[in-house]
Amino acid sequence: MSATRTTSAWKRITESRLFYPLLALSLILLFDLLFVPGFFRIQVIEGNLYGSLIDILRNGSTIMLLGIGMTLVLASGGGGVDLSVGAVMAITSSVAAILMNPVIIGVKLPPDLLRFINDPNFTFAPLWEVILVSLIVATLCGLWNGVLVAYARIQPMVATLILMIAGRGIAQLITNGVRIQIFYEPYAFLGNGWLVLPFPLFIAVFVFAVAWIMTRKTAIGMFVESVGIGSRSSFFSGINEKRVKLLAYSFCGFCAGVAGLVASSNIRTSDASNTGLYSELDAILAVVIGGTLMSGGRFSLLASMIGALVIQATVTSMYAVGVPANAILAIKGLVVVFVLLLYAEQIRSLIRRFTGQRRVQPS
Amino acid sequence: MTRTGALLAKNRRFIPLGATILMFFLAYALGAVSYSGMRDPQVFLNLFRTSPFYIISAVGMTFVIISGGIDLSVSGMVALTTVASAALLRSGDWNGWVVILLMLAMGMAMGAIMGAFITYLKVQPFIATLAGMWIARGLCFIISDDAIAINNRVFRILGQTKLLIPGLSDPATQQGAFISILVVLEFVVVAAAIYLAHFTRFGRTVYAIGGNEGRNEQSSRLMGLPVNSTKMLVYTLNGFCSALAGLTLAIYVSSGHGLYARGFELTIIASVVIGGTMLTGGSGYMFGTLFGVLITAITQTLIQFNGSLSSWWTNIVVGLLTLVFIGVQSLLTGGKAGRVSAARAAERAAGPGLPATAGGVLGAWRRIRARRGPIVLAGPGAVVVIVLAVLMINGAQSAGGGPATNSAPTVPSCELKPFRDDQAAGLISGGAVVVYERNGGPDCIEELYGIFPDGRIVGDDGTRTVERVVPAGDVDQLLIAIANRGWFTDIMYDTWHTPCGQCFAYHLTVTRDGQQKTVQAVDGGTDAPADYWQVVSLINGVIPHFTAAP
Repeated sequence: MSATRTTSAWKRITESRLFYPLLALSLILLFDLLFVPGFFRIQVIEGNLYGSLIDILRNGSTIMLLGIGMTLVLASGGGGVDLSVGAVMAITSSVAAILMNPVIIGVKLPPDLLRFINDPNFTFAPLWEVILVSLIVATLCGLWNGVLVAYARIQPMVATLILMIAGRGIAQLITNGVRIQIFYEPYAFLGNGWLVLPFPLFIAVFVFAVAWIMTRKTAIGMFVESVGIGSRSSFFSGINEKRVKLLAYSFCGFCAGVAGLVASSNIRTSDASNTGLYSELDAILAVVIGGTLMSGGRFSLLASMIGALVIQATVTSMYAVGVPANAILAIKGLVVVFVLLLYAEQIRSLIRRFTGQRRVQPS
Repeated sequence: MTRTGALLAKNRRFIPLGATILMFFLAYALGAVSYSGMRDPQVFLNLFRTSPFYIISAVGMTFVIISGGIDLSVSGMVALTTVASAALLRSGDWNGWVVILLMLAMGMAMGAIMGAFITYLKVQPFIATLAGMWIARGLCFIISDDAIAINNRVFRILGQTKLLIPGLSDPATQQGAFISILVVLEFVVVAAAIYLAHFTRFGRTVYAIGGNEGRNEQSSRLMGLPVNSTKMLVYTLNGFCSALAGLTLAIYVSSGHGLYARGFELTIIASVVIGGTMLTGGSGYMFGTLFGVLITAITQTLIQFNGSLSSWWTNIVVGLLTLVFIGVQSLLTGGKAGRVSAARAAERAAGPGLPATAGGVLGAWRRIRARRGPIVLAGPGAVVVIVLAVLMINGAQSAGGGPATNSAPTVPSCELKPFRDDQAAGLISGGAVVVYERNGGPDCIEELYGIFPDGRIVGDDGTRTVERVVPAGDVDQLLIAIANRGWFTDIMYDTWHTPCGQCFAYHLTVTRDGQQKTVQAVDGGTDAPADYWQVVSLINGVIPHFTAAP
């Protein structure tokens, strides 16, 4: 009797959406435990926590933010994907930088004005305006993608590819191709601040909470899943499929905007050609590790968050082991291959057969 | 009126292709009218001379897209090919042709592996190729963090031979309009691709399986077409094209670096779409792809000739063109036409008319395929492993004997030393035209070089000095090359940030025509334009080397 109860509990655990992401995360942490001395050490300096684990949370928050938006887009089905998040991040950071510091380098400034700009308390637009305008721009970028996908009926990958190609050009147009340094301290707090834990983490958790309430406490989440599983049948059951997709893509743009703010504040620079480079791949990978199917349908925001942590934990561990920065891409690629194998139907059925045999043995 | 309408309706699938070709010539005519410099025939020929890698890669991508897939790995593969070939050629023991063959084999193997993931494990194409891109780019930096100059006879001959155009040039003085061997190669590739796509059973199968959101693939399978082997072949072919594109890039810039070809895949995909190929698959023309690439090239040329527009306008214009062409496509086909034409292609593919050579290859492939998937996977895998092993052994050897790259993995990182600005300024005032300092790297070097217009090159690593004299013409060549790569524009901006453990930090001052420009940069993960690394590798080619520290 008790044996069957434990097996059903085991079954419930292995079939939980969080099982595989958590398994991956614990494997990586186990690796760190064995091979990286001091990885789990956490220091308290002036009431704030520091350490490799905290670094994972801090640096992973950008991927988490992107992952939240990308989850909804992938879940909305029809091959839904947003390749433009990296470009949207670049656009957002350019807009924010230009609002704070609308001085284009190349124009010789009088020295008294130059002193102003390096002043950590000086900004041309107040902080709330910087954030609001940047996020509106980002949401508009998402809206543009959504209109192309939902109303112009262009394949999502293609529709978002357009903004991916043009977006970086637009971002460079905004900043005139110059990397603008950010001196304004309150803005730098977004990515660099600490309130016991790093501030970007709070931003990620806040956006997660908003997304969770939006999808799980209202019907929107169910609409998204329904459209993802079958857009035609959803249409016949009275769901406005176009508006659902529009919402998903706009929200993804919004998330990318927040991520862009955090990323540019983190490096205190708006760098149109580098901000968010390859981050669309990170975001998609986080969602896929989180178990949301590329074909749409059921999704789990929490699993995507853990997926993002898996990616960041891998990167941080590799840095800790001493892998050069550029070679980490190869490791990431191998992780993708591993995850793909784990999720491939053939391998899945093998695992299922394996766990199935296990279940038989105790009884 | 009705007759033109009927004509349009009959040939509506040619409209995007026609529009592309028309647009190219309109753009060229516009440029020729506005800028007298563009009337030079060499400017027209340069459109081909500067884009062989784009065209070759776009040809492979067209096959992939027509088959209903996508390949994002091309940029990584191109960069990997440049680095791997440069690393193999560095020691000088390798024949250029052998390296070329090895690289092509590596590209095909990588393509085949990704193809196997897509075909047999049913992985989404863009995820599988994304992983391929990451792995390829990461491998570049495992092989070498730094740009490697290529100094090989075969590569030099392929890259620098001038084929003069009769009638537009003077053979006696070797002046006038010319093309390079790579231009001939790109036309051969395009011609072969047109033959493969439109006149073989393989080509027709590719058309048949693409389009209609994967439903055509299902119907092709039910019709008995070799869907799996064709998909594998398509990705293998694209791997081959990527490697060939990488080789042409390595030949063109005579160096290899992991940061080359960034954003390459986007340009390629955009070119293919502008060339009239449906991104949903099932329809498109190789000939159109050629013009798609030419349109991106002429956009760039026009922006260069305009002078007041920045280079990032290229991105915006290409993005807008992509949007327009996708819009035109979805308007024209409206979903139905694609289905019909793909079904027709399927009929043709199933029919007879198989040329002997392609049939032989396909037959052999099918026989291999018949022995089941594992062999298909294991074969290319083995090739990759062998190539990598050769690379590593080779790398270890050249690290042992070569002066340029002493790898000492025991040193985890260097203490960053400040650049010796005073000494550099002294060299400049002493008449040096190029002052180049590099710090860090695996051996924590700190080397400062001054290059003088009379060919004298002095080096100083803090404790020792070294001197070398090259012909004054070499220094001139170097300066011209640096100037040609846009050194005295704002594109060559600093890419400075705190270097990683084993990166080199550079500080480089160039004077020419009374102008002086200084940039400092860190290799590895920076966003320097490819031109920047070409300049650095050119300088690395002439400066003397310090013998390894005792």
